[in-house]
Amino acid sequence: MPVGRDALSAYRLNFFRSEGPAMRLNPAEAEIAAAGVKPQPGVGRRLRALRMRWIDNSRFFPLMLILPVLIFFFVWNIIPLFWMLGMSFYNYSLVTGSPPRFIGFGNFLDLYASISVWLSLSKTFVFVVGAVGIETLLGILLGFLFWGSTTLPGRRLALTLLFSPMILTPAATGTFFRLIYEPTFGVANDLTTRLFGARIDFLGDKAWALLSVLLVDIWMWTPFMMLITLAALGSVPKAELEAAEVDGLPWTKRIRYVVLPHAKFILMLGVLLRTIDSFKVMDLIYQLTRGGPGNTTEVIGVTLFRKAFEGFTMGWSAALAVITLLIAIAFTSIYLYILNLSRQRREA
Amino acid sequence: MRQRSWRQTIYHLILWMVAIIFFLPIIWIVMAALKTKSDLLAVPVKYVFSPTLANFADLATRHDFFSSLRNSFLISASAVIVAIVVSFLAAYCFSRFKPRMTDFLMFILLSIRMVPAAAVVVPIFLMYTALGWKDTFWGVMLFYAMFSIPFSVWILKGFVDGVSPRYDETGLVNGGSRMHVMFRVVLPQVRPGLIAAFIFNLIFVWNEFLFNFIIGGKRTTMIPVSLVTGSLAQGGVDWTFVASLASVYLVPPVLAIYFFQKYLLVGMTFGTVRGEV
Repeated sequence: MPVGRDALSAYRLNFFRSEGPAMRLNPAEAEIAAAGVKPQPGVGRRLRALRMRWIDNSRFFPLMLILPVLIFFFVWNIIPLFWMLGMSFYNYSLVTGSPPRFIGFGNFLDLYASISVWLSLSKTFVFVVGAVGIETLLGILLGFLFWGSTTLPGRRLALTLLFSPMILTPAATGTFFRLIYEPTFGVANDLTTRLFGARIDFLGDKAWALLSVLLVDIWMWTPFMMLITLAALGSVPKAELEAAEVDGLPWTKRIRYVVLPHAKFILMLGVLLRTIDSFKVMDLIYQLTRGGPGNTTEVIGVTLFRKAFEGFTMGWSAALAVITLLIAIAFTSIYLYILNLSRQRREA
Repeated sequence: MRQRSWRQTIYHLILWMVAIIFFLPIIWIVMAALKTKSDLLAVPVKYVFSPTLANFADLATRHDFFSSLRNSFLISASAVIVAIVVSFLAAYCFSRFKPRMTDFLMFILLSIRMVPAAAVVVPIFLMYTALGWKDTFWGVMLFYAMFSIPFSVWILKGFVDGVSPRYDETGLVNGGSRMHVMFRVVLPQVRPGLIAAFIFNLIFVWNEFLFNFIIGGKRTTMIPVSLVTGSLAQGGVDWTFVASLASVYLVPPVLAIYFFQKYLLVGMTFGTVRGEV
């Protein structure tokens, strides 16, 4: 692309034309801005340029830019959303074959009275608190451990190994762990027999199932919290840390007064993201236990899926989906609130 | 001095050990893929065995393997490309023209991503069966494009915000059209954002299971679905098949985070947290 001369003339042009300081670019910037701008001779070209101008000056130009996204959004979100909302007021089962019957808030009342829904909500709660709590603690510890790892030989490879679990699909990691937890030839059982002399059916035993599932989630997502901790620690200015070291502050105080004030927003964002994601958990548990044994590991996502695609009670599932949707939107608003707080702080 | 380097070595050893411990389950599945069926099912568990590539050779003879591999590549690549083009236009608009509903739309886009997939899958399923889009390339591909848009818009808006509007002004003053400014002036400067959005959307679509399971079918099965259906097979799981398929599946994501490690943080947090590790 012939940049040189055009850029220079563009720069000169700009220099003479510019009125406010806002318009003045340094040569490097002008070169980028003017790259490829060529004089456009010929009638056809001029017509094209005219059309371009018309597009540029049209007040619909911004709308044209977001139109594709809006179309996608309409077809794949608005329509299904209203479909779902509508369906949640109907008694609609794919099994009976009878046409949907309007029952008003019947599904919601049924949900409210249903023990299994409350049970799976409480399991989701236990899962979220357990997973996010342990992941955060372990992640922060590991983050601090890896803080000084910049000189680690083969650091990139080590971090790749460490971050691999979170980048793999739960459908696959669930598969790995079904092999590992396998009651007869699984390696986990080999270890427990060697250490404690006991065989445990990790995924089939009611006492162990939830814990085993939780352990897989912790394995997958602790590296994420570690990544977040590293980012949070990286946002602490070096000068303040050095000042604290010179002042001889004990490490507890260093963390409390120097590290935390800078790191806390990123940490909070990380914890919230994890909360939202573990609330969503479905494919991991479905792949590991299908919600069983009994319904010991049936969190809300699994209930939804089983009721819709094993029980085919579409109206009822839609009502439950509306409820989870509302919970998820509440979480998102909290996330955005914290995000805005952190941005305001950074600007201040 | 000498003592210090000793401590450094121990510290490094500990770090490497932590990394390897986290990788152990993955090593285990790859090991399982290299075992013969009798080694894999042996009790007590065999830690030492003579590796064989027979399972991968078997895998190559199964026709559903190549079709799901091809589907995975085709669908994820085309969906992500569509999503990124569309998202860049929207991100530019949000960043430069700031239409009145910008904040609201960004909020909605983020919530789409935060909603449990199991909640959305019911209406999508009904819509797809009603319209006959189930198990068609376009139906699945465009769904995944939508699936990738929220993340791409978030990440790209952050990056376009980082490009000073003075570039746009200069480009316009010098006679460039809007299109020129967008694609020749702004686009090259948000390359890191484009790469991050591209790589991570590719990984997310490559990994997606639930929707492919529900709205896909024989012609659009991707690898995670073959994995799950393979491991839920009635009458005993074919573990050598599952293990070798899983080993093939995990190569692209692991390579991606080795080569694009500096985008990992941006990628895992919707571009809301910047920085490198």
